[in-house]
Amino acid sequence: MFDFVKLWDNSFYAMAIILFLIGFWVMLTHSNLIKKVIGMNIMETAIFLFFVAIGYVNQGSAPILGREGVTFVNPLPSALILTGIVVSVSITAFALALIIKLHSYYGTVDADEIAQLRRISDDSE
Amino acid sequence: MRNIIVRVIARVIIPFIQLYGFYVVFHGHLSPGGGFAGGTIIAASLILYVLAFGLVAEEKRVPERIAQIIESLGAIVYVVIGLVGVLVGAQFLGNKIAGFPLGVPGRILSSGSILILTIAIGFKVASTMITLFNHLIEDEKEG
Amino acid sequence: MIVNNLPALIVVVPLFGTYLTLMLGVKHRKSSSKIALVSTGLLVVFTGFLAAMVAKNGEVFYHFGGWNPPWGIEFVIDRISAFFLLIVSSIGFLIVVFGSGTLESEVKPKIIHYYYALFLVLIASLIAISASNDIFNIYVFLEISSVAAAALVAVQGNKLSIEASVKYLILSTLGSGAFLFAIANIYMVTGHLNLSFIASKLPEAFSLYPLNVLASLGLVLVGLTIKAALYPLHVWLPDAHGSAPTTSSAILSGLVVKVYIIVFIKIIFRVLPPEYLNKVPLEFSLLLMSTLGIFIGSILAMRQKDIKKMLAYSTVAQVGYIFLGIGLLTYNGLIGSLLHILNHAIMKSMLFLSAGIIIKLTGRRRVDSLNGIGRVYPLPMIAFSLGALSMVGIPPLNGFVSKWYLGLGALDGGQVFYVIVLLVSSFLNGLYYLPIVIRAFFGPDSGIQKPESLSVGVSLSLIILSVSTVFFGFFSSIPLEYLAPAVSALFGL
Repeated sequence: MFDFVKLWDNSFYAMAIILFLIGFWVMLTHSNLIKKVIGMNIMETAIFLFFVAIGYVNQGSAPILGREGVTFVNPLPSALILTGIVVSVSITAFALALIIKLHSYYGTVDADEIAQLRRISDDSE
Repeated sequence: MRNIIVRVIARVIIPFIQLYGFYVVFHGHLSPGGGFAGGTIIAASLILYVLAFGLVAEEKRVPERIAQIIESLGAIVYVVIGLVGVLVGAQFLGNKIAGFPLGVPGRILSSGSILILTIAIGFKVASTMITLFNHLIEDEKEG
Repeated sequence: MIVNNLPALIVVVPLFGTYLTLMLGVKHRKSSSKIALVSTGLLVVFTGFLAAMVAKNGEVFYHFGGWNPPWGIEFVIDRISAFFLLIVSSIGFLIVVFGSGTLESEVKPKIIHYYYALFLVLIASLIAISASNDIFNIYVFLEISSVAAAALVAVQGNKLSIEASVKYLILSTLGSGAFLFAIANIYMVTGHLNLSFIASKLPEAFSLYPLNVLASLGLVLVGLTIKAALYPLHVWLPDAHGSAPTTSSAILSGLVVKVYIIVFIKIIFRVLPPEYLNKVPLEFSLLLMSTLGIFIGSILAMRQKDIKKMLAYSTVAQVGYIFLGIGLLTYNGLIGSLLHILNHAIMKSMLFLSAGIIIKLTGRRRVDSLNGIGRVYPLPMIAFSLGALSMVGIPPLNGFVSKWYLGLGALDGGQVFYVIVLLVSSFLNGLYYLPIVIRAFFGPDSGIQKPESLSVGVSLSLIILSVSTVFFGFFSSIPLEYLAPAVSALFGL
């Protein structure tokens, strides 16, 4: 039989992988560039969740010195993911800036339409 | 969007947001938080200011040129503090081994170079977030 | 004092240069090219010194802030990274020298200090990636490099380059996402982020959690091959490299694509225990992808009408060669790959730079419109021809040497098929490179009356690159002897 207890114990990882797949799917199948960026963000958030879940200890608290007899969570993944979030914010900002520029050229944010417009302009040359 | 309620509320809460941001920056070495989190909070207050009062009013308070210089200065301060470690013969970004006074744990003025680095990061992050936001808004106006 | 801290300084110098450019650029835009020149020049000196130090005393270890691993970030510079660092700094320096003469014509003067800042931050990230021994540190710099590279593509702000940049950014984020997922899996099963510690824990983790290790290997393979543009994950490369400004194309094709291969070599050979290499289907997938890449890259390059697009597709094929050498998993194959990293960096940056200057001087981009250009502008066209002949693999130029070692590697592995692949693909390279050379020198008159003069920076960088193409053809033993101890250590010889 399928081991539901094990799945429940690892629910963070399962959810992270489901989220990752959703993000990946959105990124690959949608031609709207804004949606692609949203998919990218969902994907990255899923990885962040996965990473932070590695360091999570049930009933653990923040590791601050001077408190004895308390279980601490592993702070390293959270610290690393803070860096990851910074990176993802800057990439999102940059991607959005580029898409705004594309919109001003083509009047659309749809990758397929842009490709079509480009083909038309290539043919007329 | 330039609603009177938004303006009044923004005027009231912006100082508190900024104070909280500075608190987070200055306690980066003592509690969760630090330069990045605090810098983002400070930037959030300024973004709220833009949303409530418009880009032109914000440009008067924090001109883009100043924001750019603060951004670069934050990084340069970080590098220079790191180089102190190299200059005294220890490693890059050395703290105790580079001779920074550690102080009493739990006080604000403690932990050697970490506090200076956190403040530098705080300023850099705040100014970067503001410039990012302003550039995106500006582009929208043109387009 | 400085000598002990060289591994940190090679990252700090370009980063410092970046922010100095940004700060001074607000008022003095002219200063930015000088700052870039000085900081890359310093880098050449530093990395040269470091390479000599590694040759003399063995690997150089550096712990940031005095924190020992596994707590602190560690830089380990072995012969392979020192070799690549020297390539990055010298080619970067030459590109800056080239750019000092021509960049104003391609990038708006208003944003030129941003361009140099991006260039320097890209160099800093390339150096940090190849020197770092901490996998998360590598990830952060991978992201920095991909953002900087995408920005260098978009810097002209025209339709084509913006579109290429969006494509590049989205796909390379996918690649780094996969890489981060791999890091998460590795950290989960080994509890370490330092490559040496991961290597010591991996056998145990492999027996306990084989699926996680396999998944992370697959993710590393996908993530890094997207970024290194191995076929069929190369779709972003031709647009990005073809529509970027000249200097950007040169650094993207010459250096950026290769740094991911260096990371791949680090992970595959330093972290994974040799006996596990055969348990994973890595060899098969690498060989298949690279063979397809070599052929399809060459065939697509043949069909291009735009000269920069053609060079970009040729990069896809050349990346295939480098991965072929890795996939063979033999001593000579890896030597061939590493030599090809050096030789392709020299050849491709030279080809892009000379093509860029020809486009700038004549305004002609089409492959079939370059008739007689060689007689009007001899220096750029001679540089282009040397690069082209070297790409085809004509002895005694440097491209021949790396192909020779790749061939030897294939024979060592008993896979004669790949020797045939190399021969046929050289023939294909000849089919699209040689007509340009022949047309440029022996074709009908170009119709250009008054040739413009080349600036000093352009001539100097093209001359140095051409000389080094010939030099590394005749004296290939220099990089070979430098790399031999490191590579034989990787194979446990």
